[in-house]
Amino acid sequence: MISARRFVTALTAVTCLLCSALGVRAQSRVSIGVTETIETHNPYGDSVSLQYGIYSEVTGPFCTYSYNKADFEGRLAERWKVENPTTWIFYLSKNYKFNDGTTVTAEDVVHSLMNRVIGDPQSKQKASVAPSVVKAEALDKFTVKVTTDKPTAPLLSFLCDRLIVTSKAAFDKYGRDAADREHMMGGGPYQLKELIPGQRLVLQKRPDHPDAKKHPNAPDEVIYRIMREPEQRVTAFLNDEIQIAQFIPPHMRQRIEKNAKLRIAPIDSVEIMFLAMQPKPPFDKKEVRQAVCHAINRDQIIATLLESFASRLDGPIGPGQYGYDPNLKPKMNYDPEVSKKLLAQAGYANGVDVELQTPVGRYTLDKQLTEAMVPMLNAAGFRARLLTPEWATLWANVQKGTVPFYYMGRGSVQDPSAALHQYFHTGETPRIGYSNPKLDELLDKEQQEFDPNKRRQYLSQAMSILTDDAPACFLWRHKLLWGLNSRIDYKPLPDARIYAIDMAVKR
Amino acid sequence: MVSYLVHRLAGTLPVLLLISFLVFSLIHAAPGDPTLLLLGEETNAADIARAKERWGLDQPLYVQYLKFVRAAAAGDFGKSFKYAEPVINVIKTRLPATIELAVFAIIIASLLAIPLGVWAGAKPNSWIDNLGTTFGLFGISMPSFWLAIMLILLLAGVLNVLPTSGRSTYGVAGPEQTGFYLFDSIMQKNWAAVWDGLTHIFLPALALGMNMLGILMRVTRSSILEVMNEDYVQTARAKGLQEKNVVWRHVTSNALIPVITVVGLELGTLLSGSIIVETVFAWPGSGSLLITALNARDYPLVTGIVMTYTLAFVAINLIIDGLYAVVDPRIRY
Repeated sequence: MISARRFVTALTAVTCLLCSALGVRAQSRVSIGVTETIETHNPYGDSVSLQYGIYSEVTGPFCTYSYNKADFEGRLAERWKVENPTTWIFYLSKNYKFNDGTTVTAEDVVHSLMNRVIGDPQSKQKASVAPSVVKAEALDKFTVKVTTDKPTAPLLSFLCDRLIVTSKAAFDKYGRDAADREHMMGGGPYQLKELIPGQRLVLQKRPDHPDAKKHPNAPDEVIYRIMREPEQRVTAFLNDEIQIAQFIPPHMRQRIEKNAKLRIAPIDSVEIMFLAMQPKPPFDKKEVRQAVCHAINRDQIIATLLESFASRLDGPIGPGQYGYDPNLKPKMNYDPEVSKKLLAQAGYANGVDVELQTPVGRYTLDKQLTEAMVPMLNAAGFRARLLTPEWATLWANVQKGTVPFYYMGRGSVQDPSAALHQYFHTGETPRIGYSNPKLDELLDKEQQEFDPNKRRQYLSQAMSILTDDAPACFLWRHKLLWGLNSRIDYKPLPDARIYAIDMAVKR
Repeated sequence: MVSYLVHRLAGTLPVLLLISFLVFSLIHAAPGDPTLLLLGEETNAADIARAKERWGLDQPLYVQYLKFVRAAAAGDFGKSFKYAEPVINVIKTRLPATIELAVFAIIIASLLAIPLGVWAGAKPNSWIDNLGTTFGLFGISMPSFWLAIMLILLLAGVLNVLPTSGRSTYGVAGPEQTGFYLFDSIMQKNWAAVWDGLTHIFLPALALGMNMLGILMRVTRSSILEVMNEDYVQTARAKGLQEKNVVWRHVTSNALIPVITVVGLELGTLLSGSIIVETVFAWPGSGSLLITALNARDYPLVTGIVMTYTLAFVAINLIIDGLYAVVDPRIRY
């Protein structure tokens, strides 16, 4: 007589065989512990990296930056051309459809750009997505013409991975708030299923989407759980509450590495870390600024405090970022004796008082790293003091130009143009207040130059001037540590955006 | 009683006005500009000017304040800069989570602290008194952010019996009706969601209530000790009542008045304590909302939340005053 246990086993085996034969499979779900929070249903209502990534996935990225190619590649906008220095033509894919089955057209792109990003007073994305765009028009159903107020060669770095394309028809039918909250239409491979501000956001795969068909092992459901505390993320990751953990601090990685089912994936961030110096006494003298750069032992800090989870910068940007030049000169190597000589040349042979300001908890080990810099500066002839104001205060003062010496990061630097203009071009922002006509000329030229080779040359020359004149000491790019469950095959991106469609869940 | 309540309510108006002035002044005096924090890194002067005009920040501060007071008197705290929605709506969506958490923190604290305090007070200098006093001291001394992390490490990490954060597991709960997750789940008879909610609320409620537990335990003990020496207690003993009946029927009921006062006062502390605990446990309540609002310098939202807390504090104190009369028949207004 057959035992009950054998009967159940046999029944299970038969069921599994039938399911696999019929193509039925279990729904896969991946939970991700993230540090940022999405607080609004309005896809244009905030300007944070996580939001751009998630809504790009829901609405379909307009175009994207490929870190493998170190160049931009098409998605909804399949290809583009520069008609003249202020006019771009984008050709849309005909295969992108909204959740209700209607096709994503040029009208939707124009509506999203002009009515939502630029025209809507609730939008917080105009400066990040379309700073120089003055007009967008549909030339036909699948062609969009974008006009800028000045030649903007790096326009793609603003539009790609940032422009969120939503349905004009849904907006017209339901109005803005109801369209965003109750009828979120997107042309991307995932749709928004649930958003509880401050707690979680859930996406569900659209199996009929062309990208979803190309990636059958991408998770069926993705849950983004807000976990700001590192301890919480690590514990939840170890317990399998989440399968991907964003930003593991280097000192916590060993707990994860002990578990055979989990792994750490380091990735070079595109966020550049630097010490900024306003050209006011004593930093009005180039020698003093150079002395700071020679005083910081970046290699030692990276090897010890950062446990080698950072890449040294010998200029504003590093490998993989647009315009990177490995032969950039000069190199500001660690040499406290050179610092002392430079200080003496500047008239500070007996030392000089400086106050270094740093945020606390915003960047990896920011306070500890700057604490390590203070004795290095003192050994080179400075009398340095560290100040740690609250982030909102520091950031407001930096933007007003009232902080003479500070540690800071600048994220989303795939193409350095915007960051270099923002911090170093005369009159652009008061963050550093630096002015150099030669640099301005080069930065203006690169922004108006559409030949990639010439543009790279201008960028390289500009970055060489910056490194030598040292309004900032460029320090490192952190390696972001991601915790990945072995069931998930995924390569995190340097800009910390998360695309679930690029994940593969082992079943 | 009615005239007393009217008198008390009238007395709260200057308090509310003063607090609104203080909050408004302090948040505007704090360094940081909402336009610079909310409009993104690449923002320019023209966009900043437009945003300031839209949010009314281009007007003199006293004009902004007077406008705020006039609107607040009609129950309108303005529109949030960050959420672009009326502040009152944003708070409404997050407040139930905080109330639910605070209620559970009180339940946990009271259930543990009152019996422990009564026991310790009834048997002074015994081992249970020493244990209770030590426990009370522990509760008072532990900062909630540290305790929260330790609880995550121990109960979610090492023992792996509770979730690390959040208010619910995705897919378990039914549709939201009141915003009170546990209440909604009970009404829907969704027992899986009730259990899920209880497992999620236990750690943050314990972290939040631990300080209150310590204070409540010590107050109960002191109050019991004081009442134990009253004449009527000796009379009860002389009548031959069992000691447990003396303690629970005669002593405890009379020792509860200061305990109720402390519970009321501590409720305000729970609301402010929830700011830290909600952030650590990713609890989507008004405390974590306040942190988000402060970081964005969202003036209307910060002012709105603080005013809501103030109103709650005032209301609780009124209720506590009313409860005195219920607990002690000698008190009449």
